[in-house]
Formats: sequence, C-alpha cells, structure tokens
Amino acid sequence: MSTATAAAQPTQPFRPGLISRGVALFSGYPGYVIKMILLGLTNAVAVWAAYVLIDRSRWVALAILVLATLAIDFVYLAPRRWTLPLKFLIPGTVFLIGFQIVPIIYTIEIAFSNYSTGHIATKSEAIKQIKINSLQPPPNGKQYEMSPARDKDGNLVLILHEDTSGAVYAGTKKGLTPLPKSDVEVDETGIPTSAKGFKLITGAELFTLDTQLRDLKIPTKGDAAIQPQGVRQAVELQPTLRFDPQRNQFVRITDGVVFKDNGQGAFASVQNPKDELEPGWKAFVGVANFKKLATNPLYRTPFLHVFVWTFVYATLTVFLSFAAGLFVAIALDKKGLRGQKLYRSVLVIPYAIPGFLALLVWAGLLNDDFGVVNQLLGHVGIHVPWLFDATWARVSVVMVSVWATTPYFFLVSMGALQSIPSELTEAARVDGGGGWQIFRRVTLPLLMVAVAPLMIASFAFNFNNFGAIYLLTGGGPYSGTSSIAGSTDILITYTYKLAIATGKGNDYGLASTVGIIIFFIVATISWIAFSRTKSLESLR
Amino acid sequence: MQNSLKRTWAVLGFVAALAAMVATTATAAHKAVNIVIWTDSDRAAAVTKVANDWAAKNGATVKVVTKNFGDIRDNLGTVAAADAPDVITAAHDWTGQLAANGLVQPLFLSAAVKKQFPSYTLNAFSYGTAVKKLYGVPAAVENIGLVVNTKLAKAPKTFAQLESEALAVKKKSHLSFGIAVQQGSGGDAYHMYPFFSGLGGYVFGTNKAGNLDPSDIGVASPALIKNSKLVDKWNKEGLLSSKVDAAAAQNAFLKGQTAFWITGPWNADTLKKSGLKFQVMQVPAIVKPSVPFLGVQGFMVTKFASDHGVGSAATDLVTNFMATPSAQTQLAAANGRPPANSLAKSSDPVLRQFSAASKGGVPMPNIPQMNSVWGDLGQAWVKSTKGSGATPAATAFKTAARAIADKIG
Repeated sequence: MSTATAAAQPTQPFRPGLISRGVALFSGYPGYVIKMILLGLTNAVAVWAAYVLIDRSRWVALAILVLATLAIDFVYLAPRRWTLPLKFLIPGTVFLIGFQIVPIIYTIEIAFSNYSTGHIATKSEAIKQIKINSLQPPPNGKQYEMSPARDKDGNLVLILHEDTSGAVYAGTKKGLTPLPKSDVEVDETGIPTSAKGFKLITGAELFTLDTQLRDLKIPTKGDAAIQPQGVRQAVELQPTLRFDPQRNQFVRITDGVVFKDNGQGAFASVQNPKDELEPGWKAFVGVANFKKLATNPLYRTPFLHVFVWTFVYATLTVFLSFAAGLFVAIALDKKGLRGQKLYRSVLVIPYAIPGFLALLVWAGLLNDDFGVVNQLLGHVGIHVPWLFDATWARVSVVMVSVWATTPYFFLVSMGALQSIPSELTEAARVDGGGGWQIFRRVTLPLLMVAVAPLMIASFAFNFNNFGAIYLLTGGGPYSGTSSIAGSTDILITYTYKLAIATGKGNDYGLASTVGIIIFFIVATISWIAFSRTKSLESLR
Repeated sequence: MQNSLKRTWAVLGFVAALAAMVATTATAAHKAVNIVIWTDSDRAAAVTKVANDWAAKNGATVKVVTKNFGDIRDNLGTVAAADAPDVITAAHDWTGQLAANGLVQPLFLSAAVKKQFPSYTLNAFSYGTAVKKLYGVPAAVENIGLVVNTKLAKAPKTFAQLESEALAVKKKSHLSFGIAVQQGSGGDAYHMYPFFSGLGGYVFGTNKAGNLDPSDIGVASPALIKNSKLVDKWNKEGLLSSKVDAAAAQNAFLKGQTAFWITGPWNADTLKKSGLKFQVMQVPAIVKPSVPFLGVQGFMVTKFASDHGVGSAATDLVTNFMATPSAQTQLAAANGRPPANSLAKSSDPVLRQFSAASKGGVPMPNIPQMNSVWGDLGQAWVKSTKGSGATPAATAFKTAARAIADKIG
C-alpha cells in the first residue's frame, strides 16, 4: 500500500538549504585538514604542559595529562564505531573537568586545611624562614662595608671595612684577619675599592656569587658570625633559636623555651600555646573549620539570619522578575501592535547594561541626601533612607535585582508564549473559559514546562549574586548584633567578609568551608525543585 | 588508510616537536642574572629608570612587571616560584601579613643610611613577634590633611574656630554637612582617624618591647569615651555626616559649598586644576593633637630572590641604590608623594604642605590583626554620625571595641 502512494506523488529533486550546503563544504579534505590542525594544536599544548610539569616535578598531573592526550588522540583518529559519541562529548567534558571539577576538588582540599595568613608555606620553607628571622645582631655586634675578593689561591675572601673604627679585615670561613689600613682603599661610603694582595671581584661576576656568599659565614664569638647581606654589606648576626630536627622543635637559646610542632601548622611554645613562631605552614586540620563554624558564636549566630535572608532574597527576585516579565510579555504579545520592536529594545536595556556599571550607578541614585531618587521624592515631601536603614536597604537590593532580571524573563516568556499552539487557547475559549481561567489552566502550565528550569537556574544565580549586594550596600547597614554580617549580607558576601576581614585576614580555609556548605544548599534546593517540575517528563 | 594514519602521526609528531623546541627556549632564557620587579602602573616608569640605572652600573638585567597595587600583595602568596618577583613595591601595612607568611626577607641598612630616614618610616616597615626586623626600604610617605578654601574661610588655628567657620559656610550654602570627609555606608576609618586621635583614641597600644600589642585595643579607650559627647554634638549640628561618600565630598568642596575637605596627596592634581585658592594643614587639635594615619610606601625583597639565585643582587638594588636621595626623589615623584629620605626634598609646594601636615602622625599598624579593625571602626563612625537616629558615640565605639576583640580572638 505504501509503495502505491509513494509512486502516485511526483518526486521533486531534493535541494538542501544554504546552511546545510555551507556545512557540507567542510566535509572531505577541508574538514580533514581542520581536524589535523586542531589535533596538532591540542598535542602541542600537551607537550608544552608536559615540559612545564616535568620541570616542576608534578608527576601525578603529568600522568593524567599523558593519559588524557592519548585518549583524545585515540578517539579522534582510530576508526572505531563506538568512539563516535565520544567525539562530540570530549571537548565539553574536558572543559567541565578542568574548570569545574578541579576547582571543586581544590576547594574541598582547602576546607580541610588551615590555609590562611601565616599558614601558606610548606613546613620546610617555614623552618628555613624561621631560622633566617631568628638572626639578630649580638650586643656590640658590628656592621661592615664589604667587597668580595679573591686571594692569591683564587679562594673567595671578604674585604671588610668597619665604619666607626676604620679597621679593615679579610674574612674567610676560618675567621677575621686584620689588615693594615694602608693596604686597603675605601670610597666615600666606606666600601673597599682595592686591597693589596687581593683581587676584588667587580662587575657582573659579583652577582653570580649568590650561593657562595650565602654560605660564607665568618665566625666571631660563640654562635655569632659575620654574614654578607647583599654584595656591599656584612652584618654580625647570631641565631636566637636552635632547630632540633630529631625532636622536631625549636629551642630559644636565651631562656631555653621549647617550641614544638603543635599539629596545627606552627611551632608553639610549650608553656604558652598562643605564642607561636612565624611563619607557620599549611597543615591538614581535619574538620576544625567546620567545627569552628558550628561552635564559635561569632560565626554561628549570623549564619542562620544570613541564610534565611539569602533564601528570601533569591526567591523574591526570581518570582517578582518572572511575574513582571511575563506580564510585559503577555501585554506585548498582540499581533499588529505598533512599535513592538521599539518596546522590546527599550525593555531589554537593563539586561544589556553591564551589571557592575548598573549597580554602581544605582548606589549613587539611591544615595540618601544626594541621590536623584530622593531629590525627586523630596519635591513630594517623601524621604526614604534607601541604603541606610536595614529594611529599606533590603527593599532596595530586591528592587534593583528585579530591575536587572525582568528583561531576561521577558525574553524567555515571549519565546515560550509563542511556542504554545494557538489552537489550545482557541479551544479553551470555545469551551467557555474566561481570560484569567485560560491563563491559569492552559497558558501557565505549558509555560512552566519551558521556564521552570530557567527559574531554578536564576534562583541559583541570585543565591550567589555577590555583586548585586556588595556593590550596592557593601553588605548593608550593620545592626547592633553582628559585626561581620550586615542586614543585606547573603551567604557569599558573608563568606567574603569572613575570609578577608576577620582574625589575621585571608582565612581561605574557613571561606572554602562556607563555600562547600553553600554548594550543598543550592544543590539540594535545585534537585528538589527539578524533581517537582514536570519539565523532564517529555524526555521520559 | 594505513598510509594516511602514518601521515597523521607524522604531522602530529612534527607539531609536538615544534612545541617542545619553543618550550625549551622559553625556559632557558630565564637563566641569566635577571631581577624581576613587580610595581604598579603609576610607578612603573620611575622604577624602570632607577632599576635600569642600577643594572647598567652593575651589568645585570631587570624586568619590571606592572600589576594592580592591591594584587601585588595578594598574588605574592599564590604565584608559582618560577614567575615570582624578586623585588616588590609595597605599602608598609602589608609588612606584617607578608612577614607572617614568610614571603619577604629581613634587610639591614648601614648606620649612615639609617640616619637619613625618619625613624617612623623604618618602624613602619619593621615587624616581628619575637625579634623586630626591617623588611623594606621606605620610598614615599603619604597622609591626609585638611584642605582649606582660603577664599571662603581662614585657616583655623583651633578646632573651635574650624567648627564655627564650617558651620557658617554650611548655613550659607544650605548644605547638609560642614566638613567634607568621605565615609559612605561602608565607613572609612582611615579618613576619620584625625578626629579619632584628636579625641584620645588609638588602635593598638605598644608593649614593653616597643611592639604593637594586639590585645591592647584603644578603640574604646577611657579618654575617647570621656570625649565622645563631642561626636554627638557634631552629629547634631551637622558638622560631620556619614552619608557623604568620596564623590559627594569632592564635589561639595570643588563647587565651593564647603570650605574644608579632608583628603590626601592623590587629589593634589585635582586641587591644582580646580583653580581654587587653598592651603593644606593638619586638623587642629581637639583634646589631643589630631594626627593622621601615615602610609609609607617602599620596596621589599621577596624570599623568591634567593631561590632564583639573585638574592644578593636584589638586596643590593633595594638597600643600596633605592635608598639613595636621588633614587628616592625619582621614585616618590612618580606617584606624586613626598619622598621618605629626609635628604631628598620634594619640589612640589602642595606635597610639602601635606608633609608638614604629617607631624606626629601614626603609621597604620602593620600587624595582620589590623584586618579585623577597619570594618568595625569605620562602622562606629557611620553609626554615630548618621544624622537623625544616630547611635550615641560612646555606645558605638564600645560595641566596635568588643567586636574587634572577638574577631582577633
């Protein structure tokens, strides 16, 4: 039966569209060349990255890089059927892993460490720096101007000139040898310019002696030694701390106080645990950051208020923007309305202006005494403390966010409205439905299928909308109760303040912890919301 | 198909080899005695010139990298060792944080050179919980001062005179505040510091060893609380208002609506171009001298210098060359600030007035705990000078002191 109907219709030659013809241009030889170029570039980047990783001895990252590159080459070059879907998935997956998964892993790693001011180095670097910091001029310690020189045998010697007495010496690892003053000439700043019996090192060679100068210590008395500082000065210094590698502790030489590794990334005095040697190092501290958030009232009390306000802010923004955007879309969805394009362009402007710019301008417009808004309202006799009162600041923040988000929902709603077949609304009207009933029973459910995921995405975005809060109110008027969280602070600005403006500053560990908690909150809300919408039903 | 597969591998291999060659040459170039300096865009030209003078004299090379001023401190802790700088431009209040992180090296100046710098500039760059060490060489000093529009008002000799003159101008111009000093809803403890010190407040006290003591917080010192009624009086008569932000303050002064503006040498050019007749002086004493916070900018040697094998070269550049009067004049002039070295005098009369206004000033505390102070101290001023509905100053400052103590822990 099908063959009969097929033969009855005259066949027309099939002419593909312009775009299909354009894409077809790339198949065959040109496409092959482009594929080789892209693959070649990927491999070149991989080789360069491998070189850098080997240089810095990052073996795990190198192994991952080699495996990934080999996998990409195999997928795109080996002629197997099952690699076809992978060819489409690989670019997106690589970037997803590189820019999303890896930062998440890093954040989790930092949350379990004490990475903050004073704890950013490794333990060996910290020990090295503590030793350098512990050097101090002894009582009656002297400072010398110095010139490195070579003696008759070519060994490195320091010609020293002491400022106060004018005495000159030759210094080696064995000690100071006084020289007759006549043998050495010094310039006006006291730096020796020539010495009999020694050949002074000058010019570019002077700076290649870095390691040798650092190792050359001229012992004077007891622990003290004269050490070069730069290439023209030497200072007599003695250490005030002694490191005991076996027992992993520092001992202060003057009074014998012991500083032990306290497991929290620092050497702390045994008698007074708050007395720590600086710098410390980054150490794994387990769930200490989570405990701090849960138990320390300074952090815990504002957390709940801030969380509730964040949720309210995101929900209000999304729902009010959606309502306003949908209202405008329905109003403009009339065939034959004149000036439709003009209305649409004007309404999209808030969405097109860069957020930072718009927020800073709003902060100026809403200024209490000098902002345009209050000056206009002043003519009518109203004065609103937009950004200076806690409640009004919250209103302002929601107001500005809705202003910025409405055009987005306007565009989305317009598109979704046009995708609803008009037969459905006509049928509903025939059945005797009024305007509002049609909207509630026919239009809105079909609309939500398309728009609900976007609303969830917008909610997640506004939950973490740092700029909208920080640029407008800086976290808002501070009430008397909390000093870290203001009345318009959302979780992410609160995290920022915790990290930057508390304790010694830059507590990345604590900030990462709050970041993880925010992630779980947003993920949970999104998952619940998604499972409640019927958006995925069509896919099933 | 076999042939094309071989061709494919050949092409890929060729490209890979090319990349390897490029990588080798790029990294090999780093091996000469090369000093990398991080500085900000204002100073880049002057630093390049001074560093090149030094390099030419000593047969080394320098590479000057321009970054945002704030990024220099933040990026120093996270930069990879191969890209790290050997010398940085720094503000003195970074000293504590950088030294606590072990990122900068102690420096030693000869006695003769030390005498050329005012002791507070060297103290500003010194830090140490046990042993205090010098971590940077000062180059320029900055502080805020009281800019007086000499056509609208006479330079006040006492604070009472300042008050009456400011209020007279305020009444004539129907402005809502008398003295233009920026705060905004976020607060600005730096610009309000002259009033704070004039009332008898201080941030951190010093212990017996002469070091800043983070447990001795003077934000609610007895002297300040005793004099806090003055703040309430100023709020009531509208002398100060926390609703004024930087833009509002500048506009009010430049338009002649107020005769007094508290700002720093970064606005020296704006003042000169405005055509107004002005004079810069220190805020008159209230109960104690109203000294400003001092900011000292200078240069530090990072720990990466010795890792790169140029430690002695970098130390020489910073302690011997950049400390000389001629280098100091060039470095400070680039940023429009008076130089730190007392032998190098600025030729700009406005900058000299700002220098004179720094007498008795207090360097901003450079210990990391200072991070916890700015926000709360600024908010104490915002709350107590809000206009109507302001918190009494005594309460505001006591709350701030408690919050700071909690945060420092």
